[in-house]
Amino acid sequence: MADPDAPVTYEGTVSVLTKFGLEQLSPYFEDLAKKYEELHPGVTVELDQESDDSVKGKTKTLVASNSLPDIYFTWTGNWGHNFVRGNRAVDLTKVIGPGTEWGETFAPAAVKSFIYNDKYFGIPLYLDAKFMGYNKAMFKKAGIDKPETFDELISACDALKETGVTPISLGNKEAWPVVHYVGQLLAYNVPQETLEKDFDPKQADYSHPGYVKALKEFKEIEEHCTDGTSMNGTSYASALQAFSNAQSAMYYQEILEFDQSATKDTPLKVEDFGFFQLPAPADAEGDPKAIEGAPEGYMINARSSNIPLAIDFMKFVTSPENAKTLSAPPYGQPTAVKGVVDEEVSSPTVVEGMQDIAEASYLMPWLDTANTPHVAAAWLTSLQALAGDTMTPEEVVEKVREAAKAEARR
Amino acid sequence: MAISLIVLCWFVYYPIVDNFLISTTEEDIFTGEVLHVGLANYERLINDPVVWRALWNNFAYAGLSIVFQVFGAFVLAATIEGLASDRWRRFWRAVYFIPSAISITVSGLLFYFIYQPKIGLLNAALENIGLGFLIQPWLGSEQTAIYAIIAMSQWQGFGYSTLLFAVAIQKIPRELFDAAIMDGAGPIRRLWSLTFPLTREMTGLMVIVTITGAFQVFNEVMVMTGGGPNNSSQVLGTWLYQQGFIENNFGYGAAIAAVVFVVTLLTGIAQLWYTKRRRVQW
Repeated sequence: MADPDAPVTYEGTVSVLTKFGLEQLSPYFEDLAKKYEELHPGVTVELDQESDDSVKGKTKTLVASNSLPDIYFTWTGNWGHNFVRGNRAVDLTKVIGPGTEWGETFAPAAVKSFIYNDKYFGIPLYLDAKFMGYNKAMFKKAGIDKPETFDELISACDALKETGVTPISLGNKEAWPVVHYVGQLLAYNVPQETLEKDFDPKQADYSHPGYVKALKEFKEIEEHCTDGTSMNGTSYASALQAFSNAQSAMYYQEILEFDQSATKDTPLKVEDFGFFQLPAPADAEGDPKAIEGAPEGYMINARSSNIPLAIDFMKFVTSPENAKTLSAPPYGQPTAVKGVVDEEVSSPTVVEGMQDIAEASYLMPWLDTANTPHVAAAWLTSLQALAGDTMTPEEVVEKVREAAKAEARR
Repeated sequence: MAISLIVLCWFVYYPIVDNFLISTTEEDIFTGEVLHVGLANYERLINDPVVWRALWNNFAYAGLSIVFQVFGAFVLAATIEGLASDRWRRFWRAVYFIPSAISITVSGLLFYFIYQPKIGLLNAALENIGLGFLIQPWLGSEQTAIYAIIAMSQWQGFGYSTLLFAVAIQKIPRELFDAAIMDGAGPIRRLWSLTFPLTREMTGLMVIVTITGAFQVFNEVMVMTGGGPNNSSQVLGTWLYQQGFIENNFGYGAAIAAVVFVVTLLTGIAQLWYTKRRRVQW
C-alpha cells in the first residue's frame, strides 16, 4: 500500500463517492471539484453523488465488484468497520492521527469516531445529531413553552392538538425515522456500557429493562404527538415538508436539516424555528446528557492508484475556507473542522446545536449503522411493526435479540 | 452463428449457472472470503417466513394481474375493437395506453402521493363520497400495502395489454365475425366462441409475460414501500435485494434468485405447452 504521507503527484483522476446527491447539497462538491481542477490542471475529479438512502446500496455494489472510488463516504460504527476489516481503507494515522498538522484542525471527538483497531481511518467532514425542531409561533399560540421534561413534551402535544395542528410530523416509510427516536430514548434508558455490549452480537443479550421502557415511551409519543399508525405510509421528506409548511409544530431532525427546515421561502419563518433535545424521562437509568448523533466522513480506498492525491483532495475539502462554505447556508452542514462554526458563518440555531453536541456526555451512534446489518434490519422492521401496532415493545426486543443470536451463530 | 451462440451463452446461460453456484456459498464482500455452504442457503430459505410472505405477494401479484391485465384487457380490447367508429377506436386505445408510457418509478411516486394518508387523493375522495370508514394508510398498513402497489401496477400495465390484444383481434378475418352475426351469435357468444379462441396464442403469451413479470417485480415496491411496513410488502425481488445489498448475504440472495428463476421457467414451459396443445388455426 502506498504511503499516505508520500509527496503528491498532481496528475490523473480522483474519483469520489459522496452522500451529497440531493439537489440542495450537490453543488458543494461540484464547486470544490472545479476549484481543485483549476488549482491543479493535471487532475480530474470524478464525482458520484448519491442520496442518504441510495449511498448504501451503491457502496455495497462497488465493494462487491471491487470498484470503490478513491474516496468514499462512510458512517461511523459497524458500517466503517467493514471497510477496515476488508482492508479497503487506508490507515491515515500518519496524516490525521494525534500530533499531525491536519489532525489538529479537527474536533478531537470527530476524528476519534473513526478509530478502528487503535488506528485512524476516516476523515470527518461534518458533525450530525438529532434534535426536535419546533415552530415557536405555534407553541405561542398553544400557550406552551419549550418542554424541559418528557412529561412536558407529552402535555405540549396535547395542548397543540387542541389548537388543531399535528404536534409532530413523523414519516416512517423508510423505517429509520422511528429508529432515530428509539436510539435517543435508548441512550436515556440503557447505560452506555450495556448498549455498547449489545452492539456486539456475540455479547448481546438485550436483557436491560430500559429497552422495553424506551419503546413504551416511543408509543406514548406516537399516541399523543403524531398521526399514529399512518406514519408508516408517509415518507420522512413529506413529514419534513409538513413542518416547513407550518402544518406541524415539531419535527425530529438532524442538525444538518436545520437550514432546510426554515428558509426565507418556507412558511415556517427562520425566526420562528427553534429546537430542543428530546427531553429525557425523569427516571431513566441511562445518560440524560447523551445525544444521538455521529460525525460522518470519508475514507480513502486502500486500492487507489493515487492515495496521496486523494488525501490532498480531502485536505482541500476540509480547509478552513471550504469548511466555512459547508457550514453556512444553504448547505448548513456543521463542519468537523475546529473554530469554523460561529454566528458569522452559520445560522444561530446550528451554532447553538453544535454547542449542545460539544457538551453532550455521549454521542449515541445511529442504531442502524452501529449494529451489524442483520440486527439493524431487525430493528428497522420491528419498529415499523411497533409503530403500526402489530408488535408490542416486548416482541420487538425479542426479535432484535433473536437477530443478534442468529448473527452470533454465523 | 457460432459467435451469437457464444454471446448468448456468456450473457444469458453463464450468469444463470453462476447464480446457482453463488447460492451454494456465503461471501463476505468486504474481505472477499468465500465459504462453501452447500444447500444451507436453500434450507434457510425454506425456514424464512419473509420468503413465504414474499412468495405469496408474488402469487397475489400474478393472480390479480392475470385477472386485470389479461382477461380484463382482453374484454376491453374486444369492446374497443367492436366499436363502429375508427376514430373512437383510436381514441380509446390511446386513452388506455397513456399510463403505460409513464415509467414505473414515476407511477410509483405518483401513487405514493395518491395513497398519502393525510393529504392523499384517495382518502380525500373516500371522505367526500361518504365512504370515510374505508380510509386507510394504504401503503402504511401491513394489510393493504401490497394490494395498493398491485392496484397501481394494474393501472400502469392495463393499457399495454389492451393494445396487444387489440392487435391480435385486428388480425382475425372480419368475415368470421360477419358469419357469426348472420348465424345469430350475440356479442358475448362472439367474444367467447370466436375472439377468445382465435387470440389464444396472444392470451397464452400474455399470461406468461404477466406471471414472469409478477415474479420479477421490484421497482414499484422499492419506490412505494421498500418492502415495508414490517416486510409485509416484500416480494422475492426486493427480499433478494435486501439480503444481498443491505444485509450482505449475497449467497442467500442468489438462492432467492434461483427460486425466482425456477418458478418463472416452469410457468413458461407449462404455458407454452398448454398454448401449443390448444392452438386454433384458420
